[in-house]
Amino acid sequence: MQSIQTRRSRYSRLLGGTFWMGVTSALVLGIAGCANYMTDQPAAEAQPAADLGPTDVTSVPRARFMTAQQYANMIADVFGSDIQIGTPIPPLMRSPDGLLSTSAGSVGIPGGQLMQLQRTAATVAHQVVDKGDIGKELPAHRSYLVPCKPKAENAPDDACAAKFIRSTGRLLFRRSLDDAQVAEWVGKAREGTERLKDFYAGLAGVLEGMLIDPMVLLIVDTTEPDPTRPGQLRLDAYSLASRLSFFLWNSVPNDAVLKAAESGEIQTPAGRARVVEMMLASPRLEHGVRAFFDDMLHYDLFDSLAKDGMVYSRESGAVLKDAREQTLRTAYDHLIVRNRDYRALFTTRDTFMSPALASVYNVPAVPGWAPYSFPEDSPRKGILNHVSFLALHSHPGRSSPTLRGKALRETLLCQVVPPPPPNVDFSAVEDPDANLHTARERLTAHRSNPVCAGCHKITDPIGLALENFDGAGQYRVSEGGVTIDASGSLDGKQFNDPQGLADALHDHPGLPTCLVKRMYGYGVGALTTDVDKPQLAWLNQRFEASGYRVPDLLRAIALSPAFGNVAERPAAPKPAIKTTSLTAPGSVAR
Amino acid sequence: MNKTFGVLAALATTSLAASVALADGSESIADTRTIGYVTTDLHWAFHQTQDVDKDCPEGLAGYGPRETFKELYPNGGPVEKTQLARESLKFFPRDEPMKFPYIYAKGTLGVGVNLDGKVGPDDYVSATGEQGIDNALQKVLGCNAQFRRPEGQLQLFGNKFVRTSTWNRTLIEITNVDSLSRSDNVEVTIYRGRDPVLLDATGEGVAPGGTQRIDMRWGKPIIQHLKGKIVDGVLTTEPIKQGIYPWAIYNDVPTLLNWRDMRLKLTLTPERADGLIAGYMDVESYYTWLIAWSTHHLSYGRLDPAEFYWALRKMADAYPNEQGEMTAISSALEVNMVQAFISHPEPIAGERKMTDAMH
Repeated sequence: MQSIQTRRSRYSRLLGGTFWMGVTSALVLGIAGCANYMTDQPAAEAQPAADLGPTDVTSVPRARFMTAQQYANMIADVFGSDIQIGTPIPPLMRSPDGLLSTSAGSVGIPGGQLMQLQRTAATVAHQVVDKGDIGKELPAHRSYLVPCKPKAENAPDDACAAKFIRSTGRLLFRRSLDDAQVAEWVGKAREGTERLKDFYAGLAGVLEGMLIDPMVLLIVDTTEPDPTRPGQLRLDAYSLASRLSFFLWNSVPNDAVLKAAESGEIQTPAGRARVVEMMLASPRLEHGVRAFFDDMLHYDLFDSLAKDGMVYSRESGAVLKDAREQTLRTAYDHLIVRNRDYRALFTTRDTFMSPALASVYNVPAVPGWAPYSFPEDSPRKGILNHVSFLALHSHPGRSSPTLRGKALRETLLCQVVPPPPPNVDFSAVEDPDANLHTARERLTAHRSNPVCAGCHKITDPIGLALENFDGAGQYRVSEGGVTIDASGSLDGKQFNDPQGLADALHDHPGLPTCLVKRMYGYGVGALTTDVDKPQLAWLNQRFEASGYRVPDLLRAIALSPAFGNVAERPAAPKPAIKTTSLTAPGSVAR
Repeated sequence: MNKTFGVLAALATTSLAASVALADGSESIADTRTIGYVTTDLHWAFHQTQDVDKDCPEGLAGYGPRETFKELYPNGGPVEKTQLARESLKFFPRDEPMKFPYIYAKGTLGVGVNLDGKVGPDDYVSATGEQGIDNALQKVLGCNAQFRRPEGQLQLFGNKFVRTSTWNRTLIEITNVDSLSRSDNVEVTIYRGRDPVLLDATGEGVAPGGTQRIDMRWGKPIIQHLKGKIVDGVLTTEPIKQGIYPWAIYNDVPTLLNWRDMRLKLTLTPERADGLIAGYMDVESYYTWLIAWSTHHLSYGRLDPAEFYWALRKMADAYPNEQGEMTAISSALEVNMVQAFISHPEPIAGERKMTDAMH
């Protein structure tokens, strides 16, 4: 197995005046803990508190590829939100558990993507050290992102370079660099400066190298012996800091979290509790919570969602963008700011409104985003009745009770709806008889085929209750001139309208347990399995006891022993990373 | 009370009614008795078919600034006696009489309103057979390419500015509405809106359901009140003596259309209002409005300003001055609007209630 240190050196050697040239690589990441990567880290002597959850449950160490949003957050948090990054990382494929993030541990990285990452790294590095332009109102980033001034701008300054490398590298690598690592990067900065006669260009070269370093781009779980469980492993302090940070902030740890890792405090129950409380109180929590719900609610689909403008003239791109934002704002406000019951997210009338979105809801608005409450007699309550859910789970030109029912079961109740059989006849719904005016009538005809009936029985009674909202999420009372019958049922509970569905979902026992399952899997970056049952059972208990408060669930997950305990390494670990490289003629790589 | 929350609270009270208004037709008007619209498109109301030769057997306008200049100064000459002289005439058209042939639109079909209640020899007949349509402006500009749909450039730009520039949101608010099908006494108020219109999914049209705040500062001069009635879904207002309607304003310099006997005739639905603004356009201010367009724009339609001025004067048909010269010309604008929520400003405590300036 190729060691991470070896790989780091090889990547570093690629640094030079032109850096990457003609290199294509494919990385295949697998389940691979990198044990004892930081074995010099002092092990904290502490016993996990008994009420933090089962102590014999572990998670699996992984190497995960950073998501596009995590990369963007990292750059914004380390260098500022005015640094432009483009789109260096493509979307992930959704994993069987319904989350994107848990597939980040098994992705392929083609050579073309490495080139894109390198291009972004060069762009970011250039911006970080630029000298600004007053005429174009561009700030001199170097004046505040580089913590010192070189003695001369056209000559190496090892001391200044080391200061930048040590401070910036610590944030990017999510761990302190040792003297040897710093010296290696300083050498590269010197080499670049001498070649280019520009201290900042040399520094930019080093930063570019850091930004394409696998240990920056991959979130690697490294382990150490667990003193509380002899013979077992736990995440080392830095990996625990990263896991917490990507879970709660969807970004890299900040200085305070890294200090807690450096001191070992984060490995003690009290220390971890202090860090978690600090992270829960941070404004960065909003990024983390929004990222989780964006993932859980499949909002990546908004990136490719389009409505037929001839059918839904109000559903512009601005409306769809705001629809996504509305529900994320509502979720954060409801769950975190107001600390309300998670289940009530599906019955609350409180939300936020933008002018573009207000046109679809047919309500007045004020400029910008503003709090808004649907009146008590409004047909809308809860995020199921938001445009986001209704439009996302519809066809471009018509609503779909089936897609809505399927989405509710799969994303909110963690149930699996089988795909349609390959020989299914969709003509009853796609090329309907003109006498079938409503979706209910069309689906009833479709269900006359017993092959179709099985699945539709579990989706349609849910989705038909949302038929008062068309494929754009606009309220309607009739379709094809026929008054809509919005009655339905959810696992035995009957209702007559969308509000009834919202109430039924609120009371469904699967609603909170699904959130627990998704959130725990999201936090540890892995699909949950039978092994996790005790942990999930304990979290469900805690969640219920807290009155279904999400901050309490976040805290319980983050503090649970399972969050930091890892399974023993396999006896014969498979190679974690396979790398192939083709060096182009004339490449400077040596 | 926080001002934003106050406004929201005020808006929220009518939101459901508004929501149902679009879903259920006019029934919910019973609650609010109010509906608002924002102007999205205006076109000068000229009868037009696809067949240019039939509409204008003499062809389209042929003498624009470039053609007249070439004919007047075939050998060029000193700038002050050629280019500047001609440019000066744009602003002082009375300095020289009409010199070139002007193509007037002929035909008997016209678009507009019977403004004087009479049927005269120069009046048009509408496509639906209504007699006595007064629209003398159709005679002046009906055969000018700049004013023909859909590519007529002045209208194309004017409506583009509605979507992109800041001064072009003109609203109407209809109050005292019993239903959009029939209301015996409604009041119509014209306002200037402060907010951008909402583009629809095509990126070009305007979606209904937007919100417009009333401009009670710079928009005060255009706040106007009309009385009317709705019969069979058509709003017809009584004329007001003097009316203003903003259009095609760019560079944030208000250039207003000044009408006499201005009135509205609009077909109303919960989502749209389409129809006519009609009246007698003040000739001098209309000329000023039109020549605000650069000479190159006028050139595209071969509309020489000085020649146009005299044509306008010739066809003017109302409001004679002391010399017996007509000072206004019958005309109409086709107007398209979409429903919008109109947000009234909250009165500020201790401040005198705002009143509109002109009426």
